[in-house]
Amino acid sequence: MTLLQATDISVSDGATRLLDPVSLRLEPGEPLIILGETGSGKSLLAQAIMGTLPDSLDAAGQVSIGTRHLRAGADRAAFRRLWGREIAVLPQEPWLSLDPLMRAGAQVADAHRLVRGLPRAEARQQASADLAAFGLGGAAMASYPHELSGGMAQRVAIAAARAGGAPIVIADEPTKGLDAARRDDVAALLLGELGQGGGLMVITHDLALARMIGGRLIVLREGAVVETGMTADVFANPKAAYTRDLIAADPEHWPARETAASVGQTVLRAQGLTLSRRGQVLIEGLDLTLQRGRILGVTGPSGCGKSSLGDALLGLLPPDAGQVIRAPELAPTACQKLYQDPVAAFARKRSLGQSLADVARLHRASAGQIETLLARLRLDPALLVRRPDAVSGGELQRLALLRAMLARPRFLFADEPTSRLDPITQRDVIMMLAGFAREEGLSIALVSHDAALIAKVADDMQQFAQPRPDTAGLRDSGKTMVA
Amino acid sequence: MNILISRLAQAATVALLVGAATFAMMRSLPGDAAWRIAAGRYGYDNVNTAAADAVREELGLGGHWFPAFMQWMGDLLRFDFGVSLVSGQPVIAEIGHQLGASLWLALAAIGLSLLIGPPLGILAGLRAGGWLDRGLLVVSTGVKAIPQFLMALILILILSVQLGWLPAAGYGAGRHFILPALALALGLAAVNARIARDAMASIAAMPFYQFAQWKGLSRRQVLWRHGLRNVSVPLLTYLGLQFVMLVEGVVVIESIVGWPGIGHALVHAVFARDVPMVQGTALMLGLGFVLVNALIDLAVARIDPRGAR
Repeated sequence: MTLLQATDISVSDGATRLLDPVSLRLEPGEPLIILGETGSGKSLLAQAIMGTLPDSLDAAGQVSIGTRHLRAGADRAAFRRLWGREIAVLPQEPWLSLDPLMRAGAQVADAHRLVRGLPRAEARQQASADLAAFGLGGAAMASYPHELSGGMAQRVAIAAARAGGAPIVIADEPTKGLDAARRDDVAALLLGELGQGGGLMVITHDLALARMIGGRLIVLREGAVVETGMTADVFANPKAAYTRDLIAADPEHWPARETAASVGQTVLRAQGLTLSRRGQVLIEGLDLTLQRGRILGVTGPSGCGKSSLGDALLGLLPPDAGQVIRAPELAPTACQKLYQDPVAAFARKRSLGQSLADVARLHRASAGQIETLLARLRLDPALLVRRPDAVSGGELQRLALLRAMLARPRFLFADEPTSRLDPITQRDVIMMLAGFAREEGLSIALVSHDAALIAKVADDMQQFAQPRPDTAGLRDSGKTMVA
Repeated sequence: MNILISRLAQAATVALLVGAATFAMMRSLPGDAAWRIAAGRYGYDNVNTAAADAVREELGLGGHWFPAFMQWMGDLLRFDFGVSLVSGQPVIAEIGHQLGASLWLALAAIGLSLLIGPPLGILAGLRAGGWLDRGLLVVSTGVKAIPQFLMALILILILSVQLGWLPAAGYGAGRHFILPALALALGLAAVNARIARDAMASIAAMPFYQFAQWKGLSRRQVLWRHGLRNVSVPLLTYLGLQFVMLVEGVVVIESIVGWPGIGHALVHAVFARDVPMVQGTALMLGLGFVLVNALIDLAVARIDPRGAR
């Protein structure tokens, strides 16, 4: 029996069609994956099915759940009644999805009491049992969200979403910003939810997650379906050109690079480096050598001190102990940084051409140099008249790379430079970055949470361990509050 | 625990500053302060040198200022506020009498303001940009712009003079409360409606608010379980600051409607140069402010565990 059937779901913003009609069925025990990059319409599809589209967008089509037939984009109150009872929606960012002022147990018990109508004491018992089933002990019941680690918060959020007893689970980008270990964890949790013949729909851009979940696959691009089929078949034998590109862009499938010269000239050297932020020691006694033409891959879970290491290498964060020794011939501006979010790294109100011209003037680079780099990074010179928010993320990150190269750097610290890009763009940017190492002898420290990516491009590795759990929660809570 | 220690230090500072300021006032009263005080105490006909000397001796007005200051502060430390220069009653007794009247008025005003402001603000915040939101912005800005004495006069004109519903002044019966409390409450409500509105609008836009609805809770349940809890934190914190406004308001309003409270007493003490009374009332208001904020800190720490270290 089909759990959920969506027929000809389309979404438009006034006269602009954002999503062409898509039909899908969700069968018990068989996961359904909607795969696509940012802007492919995958989240719009999910929102139209859940009835959570913003008022400003119009949707059409029909959603059938059991004997109920609802019109997408209308019937808002009817969709509302499905939440928690028929459809459980897993949040993107579990930390932000829990009420910061309410204990975790109460947030789960609320759903048992208010949605399923259990008496208060029974709801509490049930919540406690739910958390225990996820491996969360009694302490988790009484914890506030800021006292939980990311993984614990995720389990609490899943327990809360599922408490109403909905047979269908919809997860929208459940692995956004997670490292590989946490991603595998989430995949296992989601598959576990499927166990009793429920329905699971996962919206993601993460190829590895899609492969782990399996089931059926719908590939979306620019609001249209590119390919559908069984996930395993599509991965083994993609038919559409776009799907082939997408799968080939997965770091797992990148061709191996030729290795760099075994020993290069040393550009930067860290000796006995100890770093701390807000009184907490992140890195202790680290020795590191950055060599000409080589790429150092830096991996580790969030909050382990990767960005602090970069700041120390760039001379922006004084170390508590130890030192960073620069090669004597290095110019003061020879160490540059490539930021994670390129939009935030450009002046918003100036055209990209103006920003680049300023940097070129400062570093006495010729105008010809900008043109050469544009061609090399396969960027259209016409982009330069635009502002940063009017170009794509991939283009902007390449422009950021161009800007850094204008300073003729010898060392580049690239802090998660592709974490916001889709797989195809990510591969292009990383390959261009690696090209500078090979051809200009640039020394690069590349930070990424993607171990497969690092394994493919890095010559040397620096892996940081998971920070201690007791301190992880505290640090992470600081982050949440900033967000 | 830290909250209490820091608030205790604050209370001590308030006491020190009020004590020092009133001591300076005492010393700089024009003419022979001892004679003036003795006159205030026994009546002008009964003042003689002996009485003045007794006062001078008692208050240490004769000698160097420093030992006198130490004695003044010592009295303060022992909660000995001295005797009113006008009524001759111990200051502490006078204040104890007036404080009650003011406290009830202040509580009534806060209660009324909480009944008016936050519900309107929350409704406006839930539909940010709607007609209620826009209307409330205009009304609350307008009300806030009206000084409290004017507000009291307007209410007296409308409710007492024109409609004859309430007495313009007086104290004793329940209906006497309504007008002064309302005059104070409207100014407070104008501000806490804005606070509640902004808090509600930002909370309703947060992922956890949406997620709670996805769990299956109705709008009302989400507001009740998550909305009010989160709105209460900025609202409570702001209530502590509003207490300053309230003290200021109490002084003005009590004088207008003849309310026998501490604000009224402060104004009279200032006119009569009754320095011990000024000290006593100022100290009570200052310490009251510290106490209220300490209580609010504790309440907020209970609701919002994130600030606790």
